[in-house]
Amino acid sequence: MKMQMNVIKKYHGTVRAVAVVAVLLSAIGIMAFTLHKDDKSGKADPELFVVKKDSVASVKAFKQVYTVLMSARCMNCHPSGDIPLQGDDSHLHTMFPKRGVDGKGVYAMKCANCHQATNTPGLHTPPGNPKWHLPPADMKMVFQGRTPHQLAKQLMDPDQNGHKNMQQLIEHVDDTLVKAAWNPGEGRTLPPMSHAAFKKAWLTWLSTGAYAPKGK
Amino acid sequence: MISLNVNQKAYQVDADPNMPLLWVIRDIIGLTGTKYGCGVAQCGACVVHLNGEAVRSCVTKVSRAEGQQVTTIEGLSANNDHPAQVAWNEENVPQCGYCHSGQIMSAAVLLRDNPNPTDEDIDNAMAGNICRCGTYLRIRKAIHTAAELQRKEVKS
Amino acid sequence: MSTSNISRRNFLRAAGLTGTALCLGLYFPASSKESEVFNAGDEEASGIELNSWIKIDKDGKVTLVDHRAEMGQGSYQSVPQILAEELEVDLNNVNIVFARGDKKYGNQITGGSSTIRGSYKNLLKLGATARVMLIQAAANKWAVPATECYAESGHVIHRPSGKKFHYGELVETASKLETPKNVPLKKISEYKLIRKPLHRQDTPLKTNGAAVFGLDFRLPGMLYAVVERNPRLRGKVKSFDDAAALKVPGVKRVFKVQMLVYSTIREGVAVVATSTWAAMQGRKALHVEWDDTGFEHLSTAEIYSRQNQELQTKEGLSFRKVGDPDNLLKNAAKKLDVVYETPYQAHSAMEPLNCVAHYQDSKIEIWGPIQAPDWVQDFITTQFNMPKDKVIVNMTFLGGGFGRKAFLDYPHEATLISKEMGAPVMVVWSREDDVRQGPFRPGISYRAEGVVDSGNISAIKFRMAGQNLDHWQGGKKDKANGSTTEGFLEPYFKTIKNISFADVPFETPIPTMWWRSVYASTNGFAFESFMDEMAHAAGKDPLDFRRQYLPEDRLQRLINKMEEVSGWKSREKNGGYGVAMTECFSSTVGQIVKVSKTAAGKIKVDHVWAVMDCGWYVNPDIIKAQVEGSILMALGAATIQEITFKDGLAQQHNFYDYKMPRITDMPPIDVYVMDNAEDAGGVGEPGLPAFSPALTNAIFDLTGKRIRKLPFDMNAV
Repeated sequence: MKMQMNVIKKYHGTVRAVAVVAVLLSAIGIMAFTLHKDDKSGKADPELFVVKKDSVASVKAFKQVYTVLMSARCMNCHPSGDIPLQGDDSHLHTMFPKRGVDGKGVYAMKCANCHQATNTPGLHTPPGNPKWHLPPADMKMVFQGRTPHQLAKQLMDPDQNGHKNMQQLIEHVDDTLVKAAWNPGEGRTLPPMSHAAFKKAWLTWLSTGAYAPKGK
Repeated sequence: MISLNVNQKAYQVDADPNMPLLWVIRDIIGLTGTKYGCGVAQCGACVVHLNGEAVRSCVTKVSRAEGQQVTTIEGLSANNDHPAQVAWNEENVPQCGYCHSGQIMSAAVLLRDNPNPTDEDIDNAMAGNICRCGTYLRIRKAIHTAAELQRKEVKS
Repeated sequence: MSTSNISRRNFLRAAGLTGTALCLGLYFPASSKESEVFNAGDEEASGIELNSWIKIDKDGKVTLVDHRAEMGQGSYQSVPQILAEELEVDLNNVNIVFARGDKKYGNQITGGSSTIRGSYKNLLKLGATARVMLIQAAANKWAVPATECYAESGHVIHRPSGKKFHYGELVETASKLETPKNVPLKKISEYKLIRKPLHRQDTPLKTNGAAVFGLDFRLPGMLYAVVERNPRLRGKVKSFDDAAALKVPGVKRVFKVQMLVYSTIREGVAVVATSTWAAMQGRKALHVEWDDTGFEHLSTAEIYSRQNQELQTKEGLSFRKVGDPDNLLKNAAKKLDVVYETPYQAHSAMEPLNCVAHYQDSKIEIWGPIQAPDWVQDFITTQFNMPKDKVIVNMTFLGGGFGRKAFLDYPHEATLISKEMGAPVMVVWSREDDVRQGPFRPGISYRAEGVVDSGNISAIKFRMAGQNLDHWQGGKKDKANGSTTEGFLEPYFKTIKNISFADVPFETPIPTMWWRSVYASTNGFAFESFMDEMAHAAGKDPLDFRRQYLPEDRLQRLINKMEEVSGWKSREKNGGYGVAMTECFSSTVGQIVKVSKTAAGKIKVDHVWAVMDCGWYVNPDIIKAQVEGSILMALGAATIQEITFKDGLAQQHNFYDYKMPRITDMPPIDVYVMDNAEDAGGVGEPGLPAFSPALTNAIFDLTGKRIRKLPFDMNAV
């Protein structure tokens, strides 16, 4: 298989950057990817990020990514409505807190009124994170109800992914709120794989061309 | 020692920094208007204002409040005359009364952020406060009344 | 020592009242049902147990006593509102205080919706007696006939001259007068305060944090305790390890404590500390091993399958029978034979249980959210072998009660812990303790059989199987539950010619007790669901069907009111309307519920119309509030709340799994109070039982689906 490699440089203008990536990717024709080793901080270094198109590997990786994103720990804050979900069964959050414009709740029902910087000890207590919030109203980033195909497309669409370029998508895997899924507080089920495994799958998906699984 | 400012008064409290603000306020400072209802941020009986936000003091470590402005029901107004308090009296809201410190503190944030709340706004703001006596119809009515009082105050 | 030998002089001196105040109270002679008003200044008052309900001092300051618990139902307003009416004082200028627990105030148990209906005649008489004495005192001072004088707003006025005294100026003279008998009472049409929707006197205290609930009570040197109790009532502490608990800063001591739940011992390990939080942290660090042998560990499924088994195979203990329903059922070609199930419930007052006790060698004093201070006094007196007058029980405001706070276990436990510590101690129950440990409302199953003949009821037979609360208190086990028909309208026994009720005995080790409206809360669902099923079988309008069997004028007026306010006659056919009527604690309530289905297929309560006939009443706004609250409590119990058991343990913990209706669940409710002068009935509870059957009857009307098991999910009908 012929492979083409592109080194993604650091970009600053997010929308433009993703557009550039998209152009590059579409120009490549064959998707493939490799992943350069992470630096010691554990962060993916976009400087060294190489896209090597491989649709089979990409779809395979995304299927793993999907299981994590659709787990209660991720999906609960990416609901289809404006009320977050709660619990391993992803029921509507008791007391129905609303998203609000900035995703941080409304009036007396702001996320941080209950969700502290760290997990509150005990069962059925609010999990914590300094950034605890939903996606904002103008960029809802819904996971709930999305098929693998839809979710993959959405994640790569800057108009739906929070205007993230490739670099930001790469970095997002180490975001403190994303990582909170693996420190969910007492009694909550962890995502179906470790953060390291998720990160590997995520970066593999991106670096093989971020293919969306077939289907609707 | 932890420095707290509660109802515009400075306190130095000798407490475990992990102790919830609720118990510091009730058992150490001695202001008992803020209530214990569930201990897990389910019922809202413990709502106080932390820098103006309606935090659940039962899950808020006292360390989070250090150096910040805390307001309890006792400090909401000087003479029981915050528009919400006046409206609660006007509409005969409380029965047992236990939850209403928290209800009023939540309503006060709503009324500050939205001077003309709709029923839906009230639901959005107040669904975190449980009332076992079932005074919800009156809470809703009182918030509308308070909004009206507040608008009149602003005009005059 | 008894107070029966106290002399008048000593009493007045002790109270600092000699010639300086008018104190009137009621005397409840053991021999008669009639109470007598007495004046603390009367020679006759010597030798009887003194209380004072009304006190007026020389400055005119009026103090009125609320002898009942204030747990939201409004006694703090309604008791003074009655006294002030006949006394002619302005309620805004009186001081209201809670009585201590004392038989001198008669029965103080705030339960059975009895505060007004049990006291109002005495309170009216008391207020009127004081007024008559003050008028007489003024007349004496002016040397005019008393008939020329009248009382208004804390003053006596001489009509011809316009001269006036305020009450304070009259107390010295009045306190020396003989207490008049048979004073005239006002007519209802003369009331200035009673029957008016006056603002409650406790509201200002409840909007600025000033009201002192049990958990807010403080004493110098008071310690805080929490108790890890055996989660299965009859289990014992096998052993415990307190090493880690004692290392928690603030924790003072850890020890075993045994409190009485009825006559059963509940064992636990108390952690006593300098703050609530420290005690809770200490408890977390505690390791306790339990011995749970020797009694049955039940699960919910077993409870209901056993109840059903019993109902299908046993006749039970007959409670009441008219005609011969068995014979008609046996020979009927067609009959209804259905079972209704209702769940166990926790009380879950917003203020978790708590109590402060201070045990001293010479006396015991208790403060707390207590529904039955006189019972607590009796119980503590016996348990600690202390003279009764050395056991002082003080009521704080109650952050809800619903029956749970009429119990004696938590003051007993607090006293035991205070005795052990030699210091005043507040025992705090966590929300989890409050939800999980009961005693619970019993979950009860009912079997209802009925025959309809030519559109009329031919026979009805009810059997219940559920725990009998009397049995916890030593009630005879061969006697049917005394509340087998609670909730059922008495006139039905005249108009339904063949009807029977029986109690099929059913026991478990799960502790149970009263829960708002008690057996009516579950009976009502079975009775009124079945009445609806019978109406449907008879092909009759369910409201007309009830009207047919309730011919009394008073009930006809109630039914007419229900019909009128709900627009019953012009309702859409199968538009989701349901009706139910129940009677308990001498009040009858009819409710009509209107439901619809949302686009998402969920049942929504669009409206509730409730009509209350409680006879003579005090404050219509408090009645409305009580009915609104009762309906919401019933909605929770019918649709989202259930205490379930697994291996003998309650499975719920806190509001996340024992959920409470929230503001978003509150349906619009209109409450109407019937106007009549019949004897006063209860208000705090009777609004509850009719709601759940009216709701499920409405769902049947809309969907054709009959719901016979509570709770049910409104999102999945």
